[in-house]
Amino acid sequence: MTLDFLFVVGLAGIITLGLKSSFIEGQTYFTLPSWLVTAFEFVPPAVLCSLIVPSIFKGDPGLVQEFGQVAVDPKPIAAILAAVAFFATKRTIPTLVTGMISLYLAYWLQL
Amino acid sequence: MRAMLPFLPGIVPFGVVTGFTPISFGFTWIDSWLGSLLMFAGAAQLAAYQLMNEDASIWIILLTVTAINLRYVLYSASIAPHLADANRLTRLLAGYGLSDQIYPICHRDYRTHEWGLEERIAYYTGGTLLLWGLWQACTLIGAFAGQIIPVFWSLEFIIPLTFLTLALQTLKTMAHRVTAISGALVSFVGLELPYSLGLILGAISGVCFGALYQRAIR
Repeated sequence: MTLDFLFVVGLAGIITLGLKSSFIEGQTYFTLPSWLVTAFEFVPPAVLCSLIVPSIFKGDPGLVQEFGQVAVDPKPIAAILAAVAFFATKRTIPTLVTGMISLYLAYWLQL
Repeated sequence: MRAMLPFLPGIVPFGVVTGFTPISFGFTWIDSWLGSLLMFAGAAQLAAYQLMNEDASIWIILLTVTAINLRYVLYSASIAPHLADANRLTRLLAGYGLSDQIYPICHRDYRTHEWGLEERIAYYTGGTLLLWGLWQACTLIGAFAGQIIPVFWSLEFIIPLTFLTLALQTLKTMAHRVTAISGALVSFVGLELPYSLGLILGAISGVCFGALYQRAIR
């Protein structure tokens, strides 16, 4: 553990506490404008999708690091099949399992 | 506590994933657990560790954590009137313990029961303690398991898959879908930008496109 790490995680913890406590502590001091409440609704899908993209299109999974490159990156294929599994089941575990199995298969089939 | 039971099966795998993914990036189990202890916010924890692993700047990490956790401001605003008369320490602990699970339970049951302040606090505390304890235990189990799982299992890929599941669960309306697609496209175009700027641009443009779409169809 480095000081830099502690600094980042500590600040992230303070920010999280600040956001969670914002109104529980300060409700007498301020209210949220309605346009901001509307915008907040769109934050989760926007941030999550923006986060997913680099993890799917950049970097090598552990498989590639251990056994070498293949012609077609298996990550986007696995992500698409995981999304299909989500739409079919609407459940987390089958989505994760399908994604991981697809990753392994999409890699091994190219060896 | 009984009201929290339906949430628990979903918490276990998410907690374990949140515990072991920092290990797959080379962090120690204490590093992994500190995130759970200090933040107690799964998606933000995962994003923070992922970005630290990608050497993103501290500002990008903190902005991302803020963006992912913005929903807590809405929960906080909604739950605040029910806890307004509690003392400062109780309010602070309630803030720390606020979660995606305790909020809907309290939001639903506070309005349908004639509870006094002490009963409302007891209800909140019971559910939160159960969830907090389970979350800490699961992240610790995940962190220890992560130390013995080989690299080629590629378990770090569970992070984008988890985010994908969380993102797909939010796509309730066409405006949310527009948000998600535009955010992902801008993030893709900005993949090679320095300091993970593509991520921030994707998030901002996703929110803007979603809000504009909703305004246009009204």
